[in-house]
Amino acid sequence: MSDLLHFAEHTLQEVALIIMAIVYTIRIRWLLHFKAGRDRQAQTGALDTTPRKGILYSLAVIGMPWTMESTRNKKFFYFQFVLFHIGVTLAILLSFIIPYFPSLLTSFKIIIPIFQIFIGAAFIVGCVRLIRRISSIYIRSISSPDDYFSLILLTVWFGFAFFAVPNQFQQGEGLLITYFFLTAFFLIYVPFSKISHYLYYPFARFYFGKTMGHRGVYPIRRESKQGI
Amino acid sequence: METKIRSERAQKVIERMGTKLNRQIVTSLAGCVHCGMCIESCHYVLSNPGDPTYAPVYKADQIRKIFKRHYDWTGRVLPWWVKGKSVFTDEELLELKDIVFGKCTNCRRCSINCPMGVDYATFNRMARGLLVSVGIMPEGVAVVSKDQWEIGNQMGVLKEDYLDTLDWMQEELQSEFDDTSIVIPIDKMDCDVVYSINPREVKYDPRTIADAAKIFHFAGENWTMPSEGWDMTNFGLFSGDDELGGAVANRVYEKTSELRGKKLVISECGHGYRSTRCEGPNWGGVDVPFVMESSVDTMLRYIKEGRIKVDKSRNKELVTFHDSCNNARSCGLFEEPRELLELVCENFQEMYPNRSENFCCTGGGGAMSMSEYTNRRLKSGEIKAKQLKDTGASIVITSCHNCVDGLTDVIRHYKLGMQVTQLVNLVANALVVEKKVIIPSIEIPVPVLEGEFAGRKILVTDDEPDFVTYISTLLEDNGATVIKAYDAEQAFNLARLEKPDLITLDISMPGKSGIEVFDEFRKDKDLRSIPICIITGKPELRKLIYEHPDSPPNGYIDKPINERDLILNIKRILEVGHHDQVSAKNN
Repeated sequence: MSDLLHFAEHTLQEVALIIMAIVYTIRIRWLLHFKAGRDRQAQTGALDTTPRKGILYSLAVIGMPWTMESTRNKKFFYFQFVLFHIGVTLAILLSFIIPYFPSLLTSFKIIIPIFQIFIGAAFIVGCVRLIRRISSIYIRSISSPDDYFSLILLTVWFGFAFFAVPNQFQQGEGLLITYFFLTAFFLIYVPFSKISHYLYYPFARFYFGKTMGHRGVYPIRRESKQGI
Repeated sequence: METKIRSERAQKVIERMGTKLNRQIVTSLAGCVHCGMCIESCHYVLSNPGDPTYAPVYKADQIRKIFKRHYDWTGRVLPWWVKGKSVFTDEELLELKDIVFGKCTNCRRCSINCPMGVDYATFNRMARGLLVSVGIMPEGVAVVSKDQWEIGNQMGVLKEDYLDTLDWMQEELQSEFDDTSIVIPIDKMDCDVVYSINPREVKYDPRTIADAAKIFHFAGENWTMPSEGWDMTNFGLFSGDDELGGAVANRVYEKTSELRGKKLVISECGHGYRSTRCEGPNWGGVDVPFVMESSVDTMLRYIKEGRIKVDKSRNKELVTFHDSCNNARSCGLFEEPRELLELVCENFQEMYPNRSENFCCTGGGGAMSMSEYTNRRLKSGEIKAKQLKDTGASIVITSCHNCVDGLTDVIRHYKLGMQVTQLVNLVANALVVEKKVIIPSIEIPVPVLEGEFAGRKILVTDDEPDFVTYISTLLEDNGATVIKAYDAEQAFNLARLEKPDLITLDISMPGKSGIEVFDEFRKDKDLRSIPICIITGKPELRKLIYEHPDSPPNGYIDKPINERDLILNIKRILEVGHHDQVSAKNN
C-alpha cells in the first residue's frame, strides 16, 4: 500500500470526520437556539392517540410506505429511495471496513457481492434520479446547483465505491484513492449541502408527529375502496 | 454583493421573518430535499397539470429562498448555490402574495405527504402573516380582518342584528312547535353549554341556528348563547396574523368565562373549530379553563345518551361526507361525523380519498374572501368535482361553513347538481319530537293568514323568465306583491316607479356587469336604502359581500335556490315575523 493510499484511508478520513462532527455540532446548536413552539391546546381527535404515539409514528412513516399517499402511489419511486439509501449506508460502512477491518472482506466473502449489488443499484438509481431531475418540469423548476451537484457527487461516489469493495489495492490503487478522497470531500461538503437533510429529519418528524399525535391525526386513519 | 436598494416593506418582511422562526418552522424550511413527493398531493397541481408554479415545493421555495439568503448558513455565503434570494421591491412582495394567498389554501395535504415532515402549510401561514404585517394582502382579507378587529366578527354583523336574528329564530321555533317554552337563552349564567357560531349563520344561513337550538332544547340542555364574543371563526388563521388570532380567540374565551360556562360548544365550522379549539390558546397565550368541543361531538353524545331520539328514515337520500381540512387534517375530527351520519341517515356513501387524505373544498385558507383568485380556485376544484361525482350521492354533508360555500361553487361550476348541507340540519330533520296532547276546547275563530309577506312589494330581477316565474310564484304564495324585471335597465325604472320593499337581483345578467348594477343601486340616492338580496349562480360575485363593507348586499343566495332558504332569507331581510309581533305587543 502506498503512503498516499494510507493517508487517504486514515489521516484524511479522520480529519474529515472531525470537521464534519464539529460542523454538525454547530449546526445542531444553531437549530436548537430557535425556540420550540408550545402547544397549549387540550388533546383532540381519537382518545387512543397521544403526542408520544404521534412522534413514533411520524419517525416510522418512512418505513411504512402504505401510510402516505405519496409513497403508496409511487411504489417504484419508493423502491428507488430504499435502494439509494441502502447504497449510501453501505458505501459509508465501506469507508470504515477497508481501513479498520479489512479482514472482514476476506473472511466473509459474501460481503463483497452484497455490497456491490446494493451500491451498484444505488448508482443506477442515482442516474435515474439525475435524468428525472433534468427531464421533469416540476423537479427542474425547483432544482438548485446544490441539488445537481449533490446527486452527481453521490452517484460518482457510488461508482467508485462499487469498484473499491474488493479492496484489491495490489491490482491498482487509483480507484481506492479516488473513492477515499471523494469520501473525505463528501464528509466535509455534506453539512453545507442538502445531503445534511438527515440531520433535520428527526427534528422535523419529531415536531410534526408531536403535533399530529396531540391532535389525533397520527396514526393516519383512512378508508380505501378496498376497506380500511 | 447585493447593492440594490431595498423597499421599507421588503426590509421589514426580512427582519420580521427572524422573529417568526421557531424550531418547527426552521426544520421545515431547512429540511426539504426537493424530492418532489409532495407535488401530486396538491389539488392545484392535479387540476393544472404541467404548471410547476402550483407545486407545493415550488411555492415553498419562494419563501424558503428568503430564509436561505438571510438565515441559513450556505445561503448567506453562496446564495446562488442553494437558490437563496432576497426580496427588494414591493412588486416582489406582491408576487409572493399571489403565491401564498392565491395558490395555496393551507390545506396541509402536502404536509402529511412529505417524507421529511416538512409542514409547508405552517410556514405558508407565516409568510402570509409577514405580508399582512406590511399591508400586503388581498382586499377581502383586509376587509374581513378589519371587521373582526373592529366589530368583533368577520362579517361585520352588528350586535342588534345578531340578537334580532336569535329572537327571530326563537319565534320560528315557537311557532313551528306551538311551544313558547322553546327559547334561545342569551347570556344565561352558569350554563353547561355556551354555544358559539359563525357569523355566516346569522347573515346567510339562520336555519342552522334554529336547528341547533331545536336540538339543545329537546335534549334538555342548560345552554346559552353569548351576546358578545360569539364569533368562533378567526381570520387570524387565514391571514397569519397571530395578534388578531389571539385577540379573537380571547374574546370568545373571556365571554365564556364571564358567563361561568362549563363547556364551549363550537358550531360546525372547520377553521372556527381549529382556531378556537386548537390554535387560539397558542395565539392568545392562555390556558383555557373550560372544555371545548365541536357541536358534532355534542349531537353525537345526545343521541348516545338517549337525550334526543332520531329517525334516520327521514333522511333517505344518498349522502356523502366531505372532511374539512381543518377538522380532519389539523384536529383529527373524522370518525365522529361518520358515526353521527350512520345514526341520522339511511344511505351514506364514503368519498375517496377521505379523512386526513381528503381534498380541499377549494374554499379553505380564506379563499372565499379573495375574489381575485376565484377563477383559479374554481379551476383547482376539478379534482374535487371528480371526487364528488364518483360518490353518486345527491347530497354532500360537511361540518364546515367555508366548505359549504366552497363545495357549492364547485358543484355549480362543474354542473354536478348536488346539494350541500351540514350535520346539524340532518340531525334536526331526523329529530323525533313527541307531539303535545291537545285537549279539545271551545273553537275560537282563527283569523285567516294572508301570507307572511302580505303588503310587501318585491321586485324580482333576472334575465331568465322561468326563474322569474318560479321566484315570483313562491313569493306570491307567501302574500307578496311581485314586480318583474328582466334586465338591469328595467329594474332601475321599476324600482324608481314602484319603490319596492326589497329587490332580488341576479347580478350576472347580459349587458352591464353584476358589480356595476349593484353599485348603481347603492349609489342612487332614491334607491340606495332599498334592501337587495343577491341571487346568483356566479360565485366570483361573492366579492360583493367582502368588498363592500359599508353597504354589502342584505342577503346572498346561491343558485340553484332552495325554497326554504329563499323564504327564510327574505323574511330576515324584511324582518317579517319578529317585528310584526313586536309591534303587536307594543300596540
